[in-house]
Amino acid sequence: MRKLISNKRGQFVIIAVLMIAVMIISIGVLMHRAVTYYRHEPWEEYLALIGNIELNSKCLVELSLANYSLSLAKNGNCTPDTLKINLEKWRVDVSKIYPGRGVSINYELANRSYNVYGVDIKYLFGLNCSWYKPKSFSVANATFALNMTSIGLFGYKFGHVAFLNLTIISVRGSRINVTVKAENKTPISGLRKENFQVSQVSSNTTLQIVSVKSFYDDREMLVYVIECSQSVSVPINVKVCDFRGIQVIAKYP
Amino acid sequence: MRVVEVILASLVIVFALAFANILAIAPTSPKYEVTELEKMGYNVLYDLDKQGLLAKFVYNKNWSDLQAALRVLLPLEVYFNLTVYYSNGTTVNEVPIFYGSIETFSTSKNVASVAYGLCGYSTMDKAVYDPRTLVLQLARG
Repeated sequence: MRKLISNKRGQFVIIAVLMIAVMIISIGVLMHRAVTYYRHEPWEEYLALIGNIELNSKCLVELSLANYSLSLAKNGNCTPDTLKINLEKWRVDVSKIYPGRGVSINYELANRSYNVYGVDIKYLFGLNCSWYKPKSFSVANATFALNMTSIGLFGYKFGHVAFLNLTIISVRGSRINVTVKAENKTPISGLRKENFQVSQVSSNTTLQIVSVKSFYDDREMLVYVIECSQSVSVPINVKVCDFRGIQVIAKYP
Repeated sequence: MRVVEVILASLVIVFALAFANILAIAPTSPKYEVTELEKMGYNVLYDLDKQGLLAKFVYNKNWSDLQAALRVLLPLEVYFNLTVYYSNGTTVNEVPIFYGSIETFSTSKNVASVAYGLCGYSTMDKAVYDPRTLVLQLARG
């Protein structure tokens, strides 16, 4: 070793080794940087913001339908442009909630006949309640266009259909079999006796519900069995209110 | 002569390391700290809202549960201070919803502020449009 150091060629070897060490360290640092590279994507924080506006706009469609169906079930009449009024307020409030972001939201309400989940629906101001039939439903439909000038977002479109369907399958003795479905004909699970109300049309009396049980059916997927305290004589009205507050009244037969 | 060469080589290595350290930007860099906290704040509120919990806590004025949910979802070293406002600008929460030291928000250089809107909340007997604005302040403790 001492011989190598004292040798002139040995000095070259030392320098070469040091140079190689520098190169290895440099490559190591580059590799470390590549692994721990922090990629800053400035649009990421806006994704949740857009998601917030989209989520709450959809929530407002459901809330408006809940308000509309609740008034209709309670008083028999309601404001037909509930959804329009709420969306107009939301349009103004959104720009106040996010000042400096340049947020503006436009909406369009379904105002003609559409076929939704196999049912022909004639909307008025984006709402429709087709009740007092064995197959009844409440529906709301709106399309939105979101602009956010701070990030150069224009015309981001999204729509929402809030839907609740109640079908009375059969009435036998004190038992009523019904199905409750939401958007895309998805069965709603977890409904309890507080969510249902049964009344006899002839006497206009509300029947006491003892229990609500459910079972899975090949055709309907989820069927609710409403057990009343007394034998049910038709015609009857069954009211359901889901977790979003949307109500539907179906009549049998 | 050899000693000089070794010193020079060592200096080269030290400079290379120092240069690499300057270039490397760690995720907790102060340069992106506020943006990082903003992103975190938006995501936490959005996740709670998507699960239907945020509106439930806010409209039922369940501030302790809201505080607990935020503490669970945010990293331990991130302090928060949440204020809920009515649409007319008055404060809804009579008790402060915060975690950590309040002084941190006035002393820290990097404080992020996130605004989040809620349109309303419906129950079986009530469905009213009643917007709320949530302002979440975040700082690293």
